[in-house]
Amino acid sequence: MSKLLGHFEFVGDMSIFGIRALWRAFIPPLELAYLTEQIEEIGARSLPLIAAAGIALGIVMTLHTRSTLVSFGAEAWAPTLQAVSFFNEIGPLVAALLISGRVGAGIGAELANMRATEQIDAVEVMSIDSSKMLVSTRIVACIISLPFLTIFMDFAGLLGGFISEHFATHISLQLYVNRAFADLSWASFIAPTLKTCVFGFIIGTVSCYYGFTIDEGSAGVRRAATSSVVLSSLLVILSDVCLVKIIYFFFPLSAL
Amino acid sequence: MSTEKAVVEFNNVSKSFGQSQVLNDVSFEVLKGETLCILGRSGTGKSVTLKLMIGLLKPDTGNVLIGSEDICGMNERELSRIRRQIGFLFQGAALFDSFTVGQNLSLPIHRFEPEKSAADIKKEVEDMLRQVGLEQDIGKLPGELSGGMKKRAGLARALVLNPKLLLVDEPSSGLDRITASEIDELLLKVKSERHTTMVIVTHDIHGARKMADKVAVLDQGCLVGFGTFDELQLSQNDLVRALITEY
Repeated sequence: MSKLLGHFEFVGDMSIFGIRALWRAFIPPLELAYLTEQIEEIGARSLPLIAAAGIALGIVMTLHTRSTLVSFGAEAWAPTLQAVSFFNEIGPLVAALLISGRVGAGIGAELANMRATEQIDAVEVMSIDSSKMLVSTRIVACIISLPFLTIFMDFAGLLGGFISEHFATHISLQLYVNRAFADLSWASFIAPTLKTCVFGFIIGTVSCYYGFTIDEGSAGVRRAATSSVVLSSLLVILSDVCLVKIIYFFFPLSAL
Repeated sequence: MSTEKAVVEFNNVSKSFGQSQVLNDVSFEVLKGETLCILGRSGTGKSVTLKLMIGLLKPDTGNVLIGSEDICGMNERELSRIRRQIGFLFQGAALFDSFTVGQNLSLPIHRFEPEKSAADIKKEVEDMLRQVGLEQDIGKLPGELSGGMKKRAGLARALVLNPKLLLVDEPSSGLDRITASEIDELLLKVKSERHTTMVIVTHDIHGARKMADKVAVLDQGCLVGFGTFDELQLSQNDLVRALITEY
């Protein structure tokens, strides 16, 4: 029982940490320079990873689904299936998991290292709100970057699908795009893309929490990096279950 | 207590972390312009003492006065005013890894003196780096600097706002004898030219002998010796005599 309470306490602490940091982000002075730097680090520098993963996933998914669609005489639906599955679920979830791995570990390790080498104390000595400068900027950067990375992932997946289909059937780009977007509503694009803001908040909060609070030297750096990736990935997947249900409730048209 | 103006005053300060009592009823004062070296074995609360002086930690009991103001009950805004007058050189220099040396120095000026122009800040940073012999390294990242250079850059950052009180944590740790001597010389220069009050935590008795006006010896969280080297030479405490006659 006490162990269960401990877990609840931990989740509560982490949630309060994240919400406070998010609130502080809007209190002047706004740390816009650091925020821009973080958006560049978290968003722009993740683009090659997202692009490569999206294209590869798009190709593989088309290879897997094509034979099944052909056996039902429904190969013309391949672009539609690709678009609906990427925009609804694969794009948001895979982008979030990739960012959790790349950025979550990075933030956890960086902040834990700053704690171990007294850099966070040095920030406090200068009377700078260390939580605002180091945590709020990272959480907000994750929230802003994730939807854009998701859109990039969606289109990279479609590109991969087109490459695969083009080599198999010589379909033109125009026809592929027409078929891909024929049955795609705005509801099945906007809501799943915006849900990644929640994923961004989770990834930013979990990794900053571990990095900021673990003070165990170099062992702490390793623990912060590992724990950040494991817990943020798990929470992203669990929260996706709830978010999908909520999206279907408010946007029934987005249901497959 | 002395009638001279104390810059730092510890009154019956105790501090513990969990079950571990780090400081136990410690009282002392540092007068204006004085250099106090705090000696003691590892884990006796020396660095904690420095962090209490700048408000990074709060004592469990007792109070810490900086320039006759009790900082223990202060909020962040009030602490900010006090911290503006204090420089802190951390044990590992604690330079921000992702900032260049120049950016590390300009950050406190930006924060505390936002009215200054970029040109003025750049000039101040260059002047400060020249004083510690790092004028050629303004654009380097901390990862490109040696241990001694990092310490000098950390000292430059601690001095860039011309503080009235300088707190120094282990200036010679991790440095060879010659480089440690260079850091000691820089601190002596600060003492003689700026008349800055300094509190230095050190294991290096050679450096302490050169710089200290007074010495405090901590053992298991208790202040077991306080005074000049000559006074402590006559101490009844074996550890105090052993520490100040080391080497």
